[in-house]
Amino acid sequence: MWKRPVLVLAGAVSSLLAAGFLSSVAGQSTESAARRGPEAEFHFVRLAYSANGRHRMGQSWRTDWPEAEHHFLRGVKRLTRIDAAQEGRYLAVMDADLFDYPWLYAVEVGGWYLDEEEAARLREYLLRGGFLMVDDFHGTHEWEGFLLTLQRVFPNRPIIDIPESDEALHVLYDLEKRVQIPSPFVYLRGGRTFERDGITPHWRGVYDDKGRLMVAINFNMDMGDAWEHADWPEYPEFFTALAYRFGINYIIYAMTH
Amino acid sequence: MFEALFGVSRDLLARGELVLMSDWPAALLLLLLLTSALALGLVLARQRGALAPLQLLVIGALQLGMLGVVLILLWQPGLRTQQLRSGDNVVAVMLDSSASMSFGVADSTRMARAQPLLTEQLTPALSAEHRVQRYLFAEQARPVEDFATLPAPGEQTRIGESLLQVLRQARTTPLAAVILVSDGADNALTGLADRFAEIADFGVPIHAIGMGREEIPEDLELLDVNLPDRALPGTTLAARVAVRHDGGGAARIKVYDGDRILAAQVLPLAAGSNTTTAYVDFPVPEAGHHDLVFTLDRQPGEVNQRNNTRSRALEVPEDRYRLLYLEGEPRWEYKFLRRALEEDPSVELVSVLRVSPNKFYRQGIQDPAELAAGFPADRAELFGYDGLIIGSIEAARFSPEQQAMLRDFVGERGGSLLMLAGLNGLGAGGWGNSALDEVLPARLSADAGDYRRQQVRASLTPLGRASSLLKLSEDAQENERLWRELPAVADYQTIGPLRPAAVSLLDVERGGRRVPLLVTQPYGRGHSYILASGGTWRWQMSMPLEDLSHETFWRQLARGLVANSPDQFRLSAEVRGEQVALVAELRDQDYRAMSDVAVTAVVTSGDSEALTVVLQPTDRPGVLAGEFAPGDAGVLFIEALARRGESTVASARLSLRYDAPTEDFGVRQNRALLTALATETGGAYWTAENLDGLLTAIRHSAAGVTEEDIRPLWSAPVFFLLLLCLKAAEWLARRRWRTI
Repeated sequence: MWKRPVLVLAGAVSSLLAAGFLSSVAGQSTESAARRGPEAEFHFVRLAYSANGRHRMGQSWRTDWPEAEHHFLRGVKRLTRIDAAQEGRYLAVMDADLFDYPWLYAVEVGGWYLDEEEAARLREYLLRGGFLMVDDFHGTHEWEGFLLTLQRVFPNRPIIDIPESDEALHVLYDLEKRVQIPSPFVYLRGGRTFERDGITPHWRGVYDDKGRLMVAINFNMDMGDAWEHADWPEYPEFFTALAYRFGINYIIYAMTH
Repeated sequence: MFEALFGVSRDLLARGELVLMSDWPAALLLLLLLTSALALGLVLARQRGALAPLQLLVIGALQLGMLGVVLILLWQPGLRTQQLRSGDNVVAVMLDSSASMSFGVADSTRMARAQPLLTEQLTPALSAEHRVQRYLFAEQARPVEDFATLPAPGEQTRIGESLLQVLRQARTTPLAAVILVSDGADNALTGLADRFAEIADFGVPIHAIGMGREEIPEDLELLDVNLPDRALPGTTLAARVAVRHDGGGAARIKVYDGDRILAAQVLPLAAGSNTTTAYVDFPVPEAGHHDLVFTLDRQPGEVNQRNNTRSRALEVPEDRYRLLYLEGEPRWEYKFLRRALEEDPSVELVSVLRVSPNKFYRQGIQDPAELAAGFPADRAELFGYDGLIIGSIEAARFSPEQQAMLRDFVGERGGSLLMLAGLNGLGAGGWGNSALDEVLPARLSADAGDYRRQQVRASLTPLGRASSLLKLSEDAQENERLWRELPAVADYQTIGPLRPAAVSLLDVERGGRRVPLLVTQPYGRGHSYILASGGTWRWQMSMPLEDLSHETFWRQLARGLVANSPDQFRLSAEVRGEQVALVAELRDQDYRAMSDVAVTAVVTSGDSEALTVVLQPTDRPGVLAGEFAPGDAGVLFIEALARRGESTVASARLSLRYDAPTEDFGVRQNRALLTALATETGGAYWTAENLDGLLTAIRHSAAGVTEEDIRPLWSAPVFFLLLLCLKAAEWLARRRWRTI
């Protein structure tokens, strides 16, 4: 009876410790992480953004870092032919090397903030062919926080549910089953798969003028946690596997469309 | 001077035979010369004390020379020649009445100069000794009574045909010579030079009098425009133009499609040359038939502007060419290459990407069965594509039979192959040891470490600057600038030494030296390329969204890969003289020659009646050929059908611009041609300003009715001058040696 809460607590503590450790890493210039230049064809690059005040922490972009990337990239290398780097990297939007990395991942975007200059730069990045996957935000309040900045990036571009027929859902895996992927911290507390009022999962996207997905929006889901805690025996493998499949599909889509 | 000294002309001396006119035997002259030499030797031997041996030898030679000249003169030397018998021979005078003889202004035309020359000067003088037959010629020759009245200028100059016509008509008359008065602007479709031997066979010397200026500095002439008969829409085409000019400077050429200007380019004209050849780049217009007009801007003072313009037909097909891209790993180059070609109206990119070890992701396929196994099922399916790109995928992924098919795709099908760099590309992918090795423009290194994720900047090589594949701008300087400002590519892979026929179009700097980035070579019926990078995607990601350099590069390269891939039914036409030669080459789906088909072509042009040409098999399997006379000038539309029995196997069409010869071109006097004609026939070239000697030359013509003429030479001043010189030389020598 006590086992599950203890595990959850231990996980939370370890995450916080990791975050504390990593804050010193993130304190360095984000440029220094990228200055080495790409060393593999694919780098999982995390977007380091400012907070908009809606979130409890100031550096929420680092959530799940670096275990999520560490686990997920091994899956990418094992399951695909992609020459992927072993570990993730992070960059700010204004980083000079941003355009050398056409893949971006942003987490907890309910609390993200980009000013006009940053929004314009991200817009240019995406229209040139970059790809952004956002993840781990839940409920009406965080959706509104997400929209505040996204609409600065694309003021007039609609956000639509990714249709079943979209290649993003079939490029490697056929992902017909839309299952909400929860954070283990929530799921292991009683089998709940949603957070706040984010009961229904949404796979949404922003498309360019030629119908290509530019921003993949995983709303009311937490794929990052599913990757990060892939080694938790208590967390159902099904969620992890599905999160891997979605992530891989998005990457291959980003590298083919 | 020569004639004053020798009493005869140099030409006559060369033609004639030296004889001794005296009745005394020539042997006696020889005997006397020998005797004189002996006697002189004895006399001089006695003076050995007074002079050194060398001095004695000089004195002896001078005295013997003088004695010899005197003895020869006693035997009366003369020159025996053949000359026309007065009154018995015919001389044909042919006056060029083509339109080019009217070139010039007011009274200064060539005809205005030639007419009085003939009527007042030449024909009266000739008539005194020979019968003169007068001809006017342009397309053909016709006899006239005199040159006082002239017809309308002829539309073409056929010197060869006209001369042969006169020579044939004169077979039964004692034709001694032909005087041809012309500017030499021959524009017969069968060149005059090709008829020299036939004309010379008549044995009648042709004396050509050249009319008009050999150089016209104020005039430009568009000699030729050369471009392929078809091109893909949206591509840049380079037309090779040749401009005739008599001075340096520059000329602007424009390319029109109807009333739309496709390009305007300034051509520098080399001061030391009369012909400048240059390439004019222009964007290929939309699909359809286009009658393009190339025109040079008028120069100050230029009178004849009609020779500044030429037209050419260009067929822009509506078909989309299919380019197959085989890629072994998901990578950014794949994505951005696809995006660059996504909306290309001419090229359809079909790609197979190995996303996981056992799964291929296909894009651009026409049906679910296409490339289902990740590679074309057979030769016919592979050869159905027009071009091929192989990315970062190892050669071992393909069976020996598949590798052979890839090789034959270039060598036999005539498609083009582009290989890209990558972790498993080029040498690192083992392609250097594959069946494809001989196809590639470089010997590949097998070292996997040759692939580096190191950014390098691409630069145009001299050949790259001229290549239409690498035009980011029509303007050469702007193109240079754009290439200089392009960001670096993301990676580079070292390739081995280039093969002998390979050329580098782009290079990069590595280790302080330039090494090739984009190379190509012909192989069999097709071409192969290597792009030693898989990182041109940086051009797209690093440049502003509005910049289209990346798209332009890939669209041009892709079109270059597919544009020249031959169809199964390949029809070509070439103007040869007054005929158009048609060649049809037929291959089956495997691109093996088809020999059991019949080909018929239908030629239409304007309002003319359609012409049907049945092509005949040639020695080459699957190749049929035929000829037809196009008749009127204009655009010829040729549609050919290949039939096996009653069923149609294939069809092909092309258009061709046929220009009838026009007098507006070649307006400068062609002195070289006239001189060659005269020399080949035993005549001479003359200018209108100096006809001295023409009558004498005709008088001693080798043709016609001749009689022997012996002219005394002994009275020529040269002999007496020689005697004087010999004696004076001896006197001076003796004075110097103080013996007198």
